[in-house]
Amino acid sequence: MKFYIDNLPIVFPYDRIYPEQYAYMCDLKRTLDATGHCVLEMPSGTGKTVSLLSLIVSYQQFFPTRRKLVYCSRTVPEIEKALFELKRLMAFRIEQAETEEQKEKERSFMGLGLTSRKNLCLNPDVAKEKKGTVVDARCRDLTNSMVSEKNRQNPGSVPVCDWHENLGAMEPGTLIPSGIWTLEDVLEYGRQKVICPYFAVRRMMAFADVVIYSYHYLLDPKVAEQVSKDISKDSIVVFDEAHNIDNVCIESLSIDLTRPMLDSAARSVTKLGEKIEEVKTTDAAKLQNEYAKLVEGLQDAEEADSDTIMGNAVLPDDLLDEAIPGNIRKAEHFVAFLKRFVEYLRARMRVTRVVVETPLSFLLHLKDITYIERRPLRFCADRLQSLVRTLELGRLDEYASLQKVASFATLVATYEKGFILILEPYETDNATVPNPVFHFACLDPSLAIKPVFERFSSVVITSGTISPLDMYPKMLQFTPVVQETYPMTLTRNAFLPLVITRGSDQVAISSRFEVRNDPAVVRNFGSILVEYSKIVPDGIAAFFPSYLYMESIVAAWNDMGILKEVWKHKLIFVETPDSNETSIALENYRRACDNGRGAVLLSVARGKVSEGIDFDHNYGRAVIMFGVPYQYTESRILKARLEYLRAAYRIRESEFLGFDAMRNAAQCVGRVLRGKTDWGLMVFADRRFARADKRSKLPRWINQYITETASNLSTDMALTLSKLFMRTISQNPNENQTGISLWTLEDVEKAQEKQRALALEAEQRKEDTDDDEDDEYGNGGLSDSALMEVDLDV
Amino acid sequence: MPTTVCSAKASCKKVSGLLELTDSHLQWTQDGKKTPSIRVAHHEAASLFCSKESAAQVRLKIGVHGNENGHNFTFTSEQPIAYQEREKFKIELTTIIGRNKQQGAEKASGLALPFATPSSGPSTPATNGSAAKSTSARPPQISSAGSRAQSVASDSRATPTIVGNDPAADFHLRKKVLMNNPELGTLHRELVMSGQISEAEFWDGREHLLLAQAAADSQRKGKPGQIVDPRPETVEGGEIKIRITPQLIHDVFYEYPVVAKAYSENVPKALSEEEFWKRYFQSKLFNANRASIRSSATQHVVKDDPIFDKYLEKEDDGLEPIRQREGRTELFIDLGATNEDHGEATVQKDITMRAGRQKGALPLIRKFNEHSERLLNSALGDNPTHKRRRLNTDEAYAEIELDDLHADESTDGIVLDMKDRQRYFEGKTGAIESQSVFQPTLDYGATLREAKASCTGWEKVLNQLHIERKYGDAALFSLTENVDARLRGRSKKNDIPDGLFRQMTTCQTAANEFLRQFWSSALPPSVDISTINVATPAQRATKSAKMIGYLSKTQEKVNALIQVAQRQGLDPSRIETASTLMFLTYVW
Repeated sequence: MKFYIDNLPIVFPYDRIYPEQYAYMCDLKRTLDATGHCVLEMPSGTGKTVSLLSLIVSYQQFFPTRRKLVYCSRTVPEIEKALFELKRLMAFRIEQAETEEQKEKERSFMGLGLTSRKNLCLNPDVAKEKKGTVVDARCRDLTNSMVSEKNRQNPGSVPVCDWHENLGAMEPGTLIPSGIWTLEDVLEYGRQKVICPYFAVRRMMAFADVVIYSYHYLLDPKVAEQVSKDISKDSIVVFDEAHNIDNVCIESLSIDLTRPMLDSAARSVTKLGEKIEEVKTTDAAKLQNEYAKLVEGLQDAEEADSDTIMGNAVLPDDLLDEAIPGNIRKAEHFVAFLKRFVEYLRARMRVTRVVVETPLSFLLHLKDITYIERRPLRFCADRLQSLVRTLELGRLDEYASLQKVASFATLVATYEKGFILILEPYETDNATVPNPVFHFACLDPSLAIKPVFERFSSVVITSGTISPLDMYPKMLQFTPVVQETYPMTLTRNAFLPLVITRGSDQVAISSRFEVRNDPAVVRNFGSILVEYSKIVPDGIAAFFPSYLYMESIVAAWNDMGILKEVWKHKLIFVETPDSNETSIALENYRRACDNGRGAVLLSVARGKVSEGIDFDHNYGRAVIMFGVPYQYTESRILKARLEYLRAAYRIRESEFLGFDAMRNAAQCVGRVLRGKTDWGLMVFADRRFARADKRSKLPRWINQYITETASNLSTDMALTLSKLFMRTISQNPNENQTGISLWTLEDVEKAQEKQRALALEAEQRKEDTDDDEDDEYGNGGLSDSALMEVDLDV
Repeated sequence: MPTTVCSAKASCKKVSGLLELTDSHLQWTQDGKKTPSIRVAHHEAASLFCSKESAAQVRLKIGVHGNENGHNFTFTSEQPIAYQEREKFKIELTTIIGRNKQQGAEKASGLALPFATPSSGPSTPATNGSAAKSTSARPPQISSAGSRAQSVASDSRATPTIVGNDPAADFHLRKKVLMNNPELGTLHRELVMSGQISEAEFWDGREHLLLAQAAADSQRKGKPGQIVDPRPETVEGGEIKIRITPQLIHDVFYEYPVVAKAYSENVPKALSEEEFWKRYFQSKLFNANRASIRSSATQHVVKDDPIFDKYLEKEDDGLEPIRQREGRTELFIDLGATNEDHGEATVQKDITMRAGRQKGALPLIRKFNEHSERLLNSALGDNPTHKRRRLNTDEAYAEIELDDLHADESTDGIVLDMKDRQRYFEGKTGAIESQSVFQPTLDYGATLREAKASCTGWEKVLNQLHIERKYGDAALFSLTENVDARLRGRSKKNDIPDGLFRQMTTCQTAANEFLRQFWSSALPPSVDISTINVATPAQRATKSAKMIGYLSKTQEKVNALIQVAQRQGLDPSRIETASTLMFLTYVW
């Protein structure tokens, strides 16, 4: 359908629209008009992505500036889905366009998706590598500009990648024709034309109207610097599924070092030293050259995209535009410097008690012991990069640990506030074998995202679960112009949230640490699974708060014979630590659901399956959340983070922990729905879910459907309610949803009419507050005094 | 080349082989040989015997003309499958034998017919749906698929069995329905066996039950889901015992191919059968295979076994599985791609989120996944790995589209085809017209005034309102009486003796059945039931007359009941009331 929001023509690729979608688009447009940021919470499964793309593409195509859209999502499946949505939308737009000219305009629209080399590589020799880092390193060895240069001078002298070479022969800007390219499409195109999909996409990004990739490419400075540097400032940035964005921010500025890593780094340093000696005898001019360059402060002036060996771990604003300090300019000096630093860290690892310190005190101690100053330390990563390039080192993955140490050095010397260093000699408190880890932890998520907010004028943060809404602006330190959550309009309740607080034997159930392994609790959790596997058709997804708990409870259930009962009704699949193994399990789970055999999938709330995999329709008729998915509260990093949040942003510990647990729970549970004809049960099995402070942190669209009776149930009561629900929901929905939860074009226009009337009315009232004509408008509106107060508040 | 109707693995005289039924012969071929050693032409088959359903071995015996002993076959597949296969043969052979008998009779009367013509005789050979469907469950080693193999068990809903074509199969179906439905069984005994109505009449109008039963039968039962995990029982004296059945052995071999391998390599050369199992259940291999986390604890107690320890594999408890799978899943559920997309993590997860910390949990979890996959593959066949990854655009769209946002295409509905449509609409339009004629004359102002005037002084009128006491009392009295009657009824409810009560119920259900028969013959036949033997009007008339006769006799039966009641010293009026009530509820 096609409609207008304040003169902006919107092409929406369906005949009907949900009222939520319409409201969402209006708010989105308001944000774009105001060139500000916004936080929008839209119920899961109500077509968030399609509304977002539909509005923004309409916006881009209508205004001559054609602001680029950078759409960031979480996982590759989500990226691919967004690309398919876009492809479908554009096909619809082309079909709908009236004149040939317009059609041409739509056809020239370009959308691309980017993922890692590992996912896009076509060179069979490189692609067969299992690890992404190895693929990256080998790809660089074959594609960097030095290799290309050598190949040009003397073809066949060095191994090159044909797929990449073929790209070089093409006219830049025409590597891929315009249109929408999903990751699959681009791979297929690359296969046909024998060109490298990864570099084709990278080089075409400047020409694309929409770029879809993972939000690491924008948030993680190591990658962002390489990939997203040239994106123009007026671009529209969208973070979809952004409920976990703070964790991504924090992780992108944190580094953990372990003993094996340091050992490997030390070996790399020795290897570097040897290499320098070797180069000195064969090609001393090279090192001389580098030294001269560094003295002049000339650093890599021109750099091809393929050359960046590793990104600097520091945010762009904090990069230094200075010459590298004198004491590490000479290659052998720098190697000695690194050696000293690595030795220092290794020595620290021998301590057998926990040390928590600030970056400043770390630097002080470092200086006392090794005389390493802060300034050269800051340049560590840059200097290493320069050296690697000079020495023309291959197989950089072997130097990964050293790179990590260098990043660690640079970060620790750059940042003070919002960071902490924690040395943990043992994994747990009662472990006896030391396994020391040196954490350099970022505590403040706003640091990593700050450059994004500063650089781009419109940043949209959206997800199905970002309640409470004010938490994100507080944590990420930005002021949104629009902040909205939408209820779900339903003509019949398509989902049934239930809170089970106790088993049929009235024993309270909880995943609280003290009671979680209590046989009564384990059995009661088990009986929930058994009973639901008896009554629910097709698929059931069950989530646990952690791997540790899932593993112990699965083992316990097996020994108690609970799983034997489940096998009678459904197949059982379990998430494993290996992604590919889990994907296969997931695929079989879906086959079992399609086949009618039915299956149960046991997985972890913060794990791989909980992100980006939908359990819609028959793939998930019930989701059971066993326990509240709290983070591991004994973690020292988490404790430090909580302390920081309280001190810096006045967010209480319990508030943050509750918020974090509930967003994860809501995320798991929200994956059952896709569209309003879909239905599913949402079971929260823990006593603590009954508390008001927990429930209030659930998104509004879930919370509004938890009835008072359903908020404190025993297993048998919940089963009765569930059976009743399934019996009613399986009936044919007779009532017409149109007009209430589904809008046709007329409904949209009616709503707009109403809105306009209201706006007009409000305006008139403002003008004629003295006149007594108000009676004419009936008694449905606000009284004048109330309206006045509202105005005053704004 | 004869077409194979069905086939199964079966042994004859303890030699394993393949039993096949072609369109002309029943033949059995010993394993490894090419020509069948037993061949029974269809016309030779005289009788058929089967082992009981609950028997340990699934056997089938076929009697042959001129050979009283016949041939004995034992189906060697695993129990549920063997049973299915046997059923399949049974159905096919029953039709053949039935035909033979009939032809035998015809031959006796001098009408010799060639045997092979399938169109001979009223019992048309096995082309009915039920037989066709069961053949689909054939084991995969038979490649010569006839046209029957087309229909698959899963689409049984699409092709309902046509009931009534095949007397033998029909009989089985009816029997099953009656067995599963005790009430119907009693009714059947009452009416059909006593000869009051015929078998066909009884089933007329109940075809759906047969269809449902046929559909349920044709559904292939999958393997049960549980993991094979023989748990030892402790008997007196501290010894442990594990009961070994052929079924268990089969399951163990299926579940743990490594045990099957060990068996084939060591039995009977190195170990005897008995010794093999004895040692297996004491070996580390058994403990490694057990689906229990405790097995790792017992590892130390179990002594070494030079034979079985060879087959031990390394425990699969690494973060990555030992057996890596080739091929990737489609991108929409590819978790590995995400893993690679985010680059190497720079931080570790906290310890509760690291997998594999609970010892022995990972092998167990992998065992679950593998077991589930194996079950799925046994039903659906292997998942084709080569076409996994590619997801075409339509499939992808199907996953992302929101169906309810599309406009319905059939919103117009179906136009109701009515006779004399004009008349209905005319009536209505007439009414509307008259209304429209009437409406303009309505003066709203006047009406309003009138209403207002009539409302004035309503308080006074209300005060004048006076209700006579008599009516209130009467109402109250009747209410009390009602309650009293109910109470009385409730307290006396259960004093009808059991036997009499049962007789009453039977009488009622019988009357009910007669009524049903009556109405089914009196009312026009429903269109959607595709009965083969739709009765002609004359037949229907006689039937309804018969039913009327039966129904009129019902009163006599009731009277008989009342007499019995009287003899037993009960209040006859109560029985009469009850019976009449029961009866009346259904008559009018």
